[in-house]
Order: sequence, then C-alpha cells, then structure tokens
Amino acid sequence: MVKVYSINNCPWCDKVKKYLQSRQVEYVECNIENDEAALAECQALTGDEAVPVITADGKEYVLGFDKGKIDVLLGL
Amino acid sequence: MSVYDFSAKTNSGEEKSLKDYAGKVLIIVNTASKCGFTPQYKVLQELYDKYQDKGLEILGFPCNQFGAQEPGSNSEVQQFCRRNYGVSFQIFEKGDVRGETAQPLFKYLTAEKGFKGFDKDHELSAILMDALKKNYPEYLEDDGIKWNFTKFLIDREGKVVERFEPTTSPSAMTAAIEKLL
Repeated sequence: MVKVYSINNCPWCDKVKKYLQSRQVEYVECNIENDEAALAECQALTGDEAVPVITADGKEYVLGFDKGKIDVLLGL
Repeated sequence: MSVYDFSAKTNSGEEKSLKDYAGKVLIIVNTASKCGFTPQYKVLQELYDKYQDKGLEILGFPCNQFGAQEPGSNSEVQQFCRRNYGVSFQIFEKGDVRGETAQPLFKYLTAEKGFKGFDKDHELSAILMDALKKNYPEYLEDDGIKWNFTKFLIDREGKVVERFEPTTSPSAMTAAIEKLL
C-alpha cells in the first residue's frame, strides 16, 4: 500500500497527490499534522520531519516532489 | 552590537525589545504554516519543553515571502501553531525577513551569518535549489534568508553563533544548544 505523509494545505504535498492520481496510483494519505502516530511513523522512517514523504513498503521512501525518484520507487 | 539592539512586535501587536531576552540562549526562526518544513514547529516545541528551564527561548517570525506559504492573519497563524503543533513559544507579527523590506533584526542576523548552502545530504536541498532558481533567482544572489525555517542560534550575550538552513532539522541543533546553556 502506497502511503503519502503530508500536512494540510502544503503545495508540495498536493503536487505529489495529484501526480499519483494522474498515474492511477492508489495511496493512503497520512496527515502528520492531525495524527501524532503518523508523525512518529514518518520521523522514524526518514529521520526528519519534512514532507511530503512517499513510501510503498515503509522502508524505502522519497522525500519531496521528485517525479523521477517517485517513478523509480513505485516502478511507474 | 547584538540582537538586544532590536525590537519586534509580538503576534498580539505589543512592541517587545530583544533586551527582554538578555542572558537567555535564543533560537530565532522564520516560519510558515503551509511549507514542507512546517512540521519543524513540533521539534522546536520539543526543544523548548526540554530546555526552557535551563534558559532557552524560541522566537518565531511568520513570513509570507517564500512561496506565499503564510497567507493568514496574525491571529490565524497563532491559532494554527497552537492547535496543530502545541506551540507555546513566542510568535511575532508576520513580516518580511529578506530584501529591502526585511525587518532590521533579520538584516542583522544574515549580515552576521551568511548563506553557506543547504545541507548536501538532505533530499530536499536539490528541490529547494531548483524552486529558487525558477521562482526567486534573486534570492540566491545574497546572504539573505532563502526559505522558511532558517534558524539562528544566539548565545547568552546576544551574539549570533550559528545559522541553520531549513534543511537542518531542529533536532540536529541539540549539541550546539547544550553547549551554550
């Protein structure tokens, strides 16, 4: 399951979500502003607290809206 | 000269001299509510909770100059910080932090500690650099603030000790803070 860690009204997060939608990728959005557990999970994954973060397996991830890296990560 | 020579308006419109912070270790940071780095508020608040008793104060300066990511009013900003990140440190009035219109405090801070590049290892450094080249090429020409969540560490005498770019998490500032406390 693809997860996108995000915050409210963040333009980079929105770009990632729109891109995944355009590529017909189903994802679950984890809002780290509203959900403390999601924030802890995201920090554990990346060692940071910046968003957006995209992951498929909870191990490998991409931080930021980088189409090339997202494509590689998700095999698009 | 030191940061004590400056004053700024708090979020509620009260003029505050930085002399009021004399003897404290300070983090001065420009902030925004809709930025990929916004969750740094959470970590800043954790530092504040941990070190406030030992003399740390954090001063947040909301600014809309980077990607228009702080469009709200002063009261909206305050509410956002408290509600989403439990911020209890001082938030100041929204204002400019770079260029001709920058608040004098930020002109001083950036003159004391110039830009030395984003953290090379951080995944967002390249993206940030691309965005600046594309949208704000003039921002790259000087030592001014480059983006939201640039942090300045100030010692107990009001001197600027170190500048941390947005690509450094506040958690990575712990050793430098402890050294000054």
